[in-house]
Amino acid sequence: MGALSFLKESIFADEYAARKGFLQSLDPRIKTATFFLFIILILFIKDIFTLLCLYVFCLFLTKRSDISLGFFLKRTWIFIPLFSLFIAIPALFSVFTPGEALAGFNLMGVKLVITYQGVFSAALFVIRVITSVSFVVLLSITTRHFELLRVLRIFKVPQVFVMTTGMCYRYIYLFVEIVENTYVAIKSRTGTKIHYKKGQHIVAWNIAYLWMRSYRLNEEVYSAMLSRGYRGDPVTFNEFRAGIKDWFWLLFSAAVFVVLFYFNLQIKN
Amino acid sequence: MSNSIFDAKNVNFAYLGKYSALRNVDINIERGQKISVIGANGSGKSTLLHMLDGLIFPDEGTVKAFGRELAEDAFNDEDFSKDFRKKVGLVFQNPDIQLFCPTVREDIFFGPLQLGMEKKEIKKRFEELITILGLGNLLERAPHQLSIGEKRKVAIASTLIIEPEVLILDEPTAGLDPLTTRHIIDLLVQENASGRTIITSTHDLHIVEEISDIVYVFSQEKKIVKAGHPGVILQDAALLHVNNLTHIHAHSHNGKIHIHPHSH
Repeated sequence: MGALSFLKESIFADEYAARKGFLQSLDPRIKTATFFLFIILILFIKDIFTLLCLYVFCLFLTKRSDISLGFFLKRTWIFIPLFSLFIAIPALFSVFTPGEALAGFNLMGVKLVITYQGVFSAALFVIRVITSVSFVVLLSITTRHFELLRVLRIFKVPQVFVMTTGMCYRYIYLFVEIVENTYVAIKSRTGTKIHYKKGQHIVAWNIAYLWMRSYRLNEEVYSAMLSRGYRGDPVTFNEFRAGIKDWFWLLFSAAVFVVLFYFNLQIKN
Repeated sequence: MSNSIFDAKNVNFAYLGKYSALRNVDINIERGQKISVIGANGSGKSTLLHMLDGLIFPDEGTVKAFGRELAEDAFNDEDFSKDFRKKVGLVFQNPDIQLFCPTVREDIFFGPLQLGMEKKEIKKRFEELITILGLGNLLERAPHQLSIGEKRKVAIASTLIIEPEVLILDEPTAGLDPLTTRHIIDLLVQENASGRTIITSTHDLHIVEEISDIVYVFSQEKKIVKAGHPGVILQDAALLHVNNLTHIHAHSHNGKIHIHPHSH
């Protein structure tokens, strides 16, 4: 139940996107394009300090968009960076990143040496992941999901793909509710403790039931689309309007991109 | 010009070729009429409405709409398909099926956009409809966040925006509170008064008189067992009882037990 609530809360909550913060007030097309620029920049930058500055800038934008920093840090640090830490740990050691020794220790008779270069690449990797994840999460929580889908359409992603994604999103909620209700119904009849074999049986039955429901739903929704004139190529409205603030933001982001990119090239040389 | 909109003759239909859903159904609907199709759950009402909307086709018999037979081939003709979809709108029984777009606004816009209507015209109709149905504060909400009554209103709006000649509604008041039911009934009566043909399936006998010129009664055998004026049909207690539309209800007044037929 906790997992289902988390799923509902994290995917379907439009609460933050509806707030009147800085990022929420921007045109979604321009916001998406500029965030895309930032993410490209993060992938190219090899200087930890510059990356840290971008991360701090992301946190600043979070605050300016009326999003609690505690919530945002929890949301970004919980899963993906944890995994990236696991990937980064081996890079600390001389086995994977040879170089100048920083510290060494014995583990079950094997001598492991941490190198300066190893620490640098592991730190660079983790900061790069957390900064890019933070920008992506910030974009997704400050933009309503249907606006993001419309933006995809503007960027020439095929309409059928965009529409299918939108419908998946729409119906996942329905299925989450079905699973939730089924779980409550089972619990009301069996109590909290059931034999694991019975549990397996219930889960298998649930999966089959859900599959059948989704199959039927698919046919019914298609009928509803046909009934309203759908003939294979959906038509939609695009009603975005960019203002002066959006153009300033675009200019600012482009300037940051150019300056940092140039600065990064200088470091390389 | 013929006044007949739908003419179904000896229609038989079975799901997957084996689960019979309609048997020997004959029905004729004329322009501007209010038609009710009543019957217990699983009696074939929804199947008939889907057939009138050209979503499924008879295994035997014919259904004609505006003088042309409804068949799969007919809908391959883009002009006919577009013309038919503009003329006939169906409000599905389950609004979760009908409302598949990310927001209420997009859902209402979906139909007319597919049918190639002018954007200016769509916006004008949209403004009128949201005022009539009081949907102004729901436009940016996701359909799954709405109450059943709100979903039902949005589903009706998403069909009415096409301004169809025929409005078909599959149990439009099922699960609604009395006030929302009243709003929907008033709307249907108003739409009919403006010339629209209204076809409604229901098993809520309280609303039948208001929304019908002719009532068709379906039996559990998936057949139309009687058709007639609502006054006549609703007086026929035996007919309603046999077809699971009323039940015998017992309650007490001042210590005396009363037993009488009861409908919902």
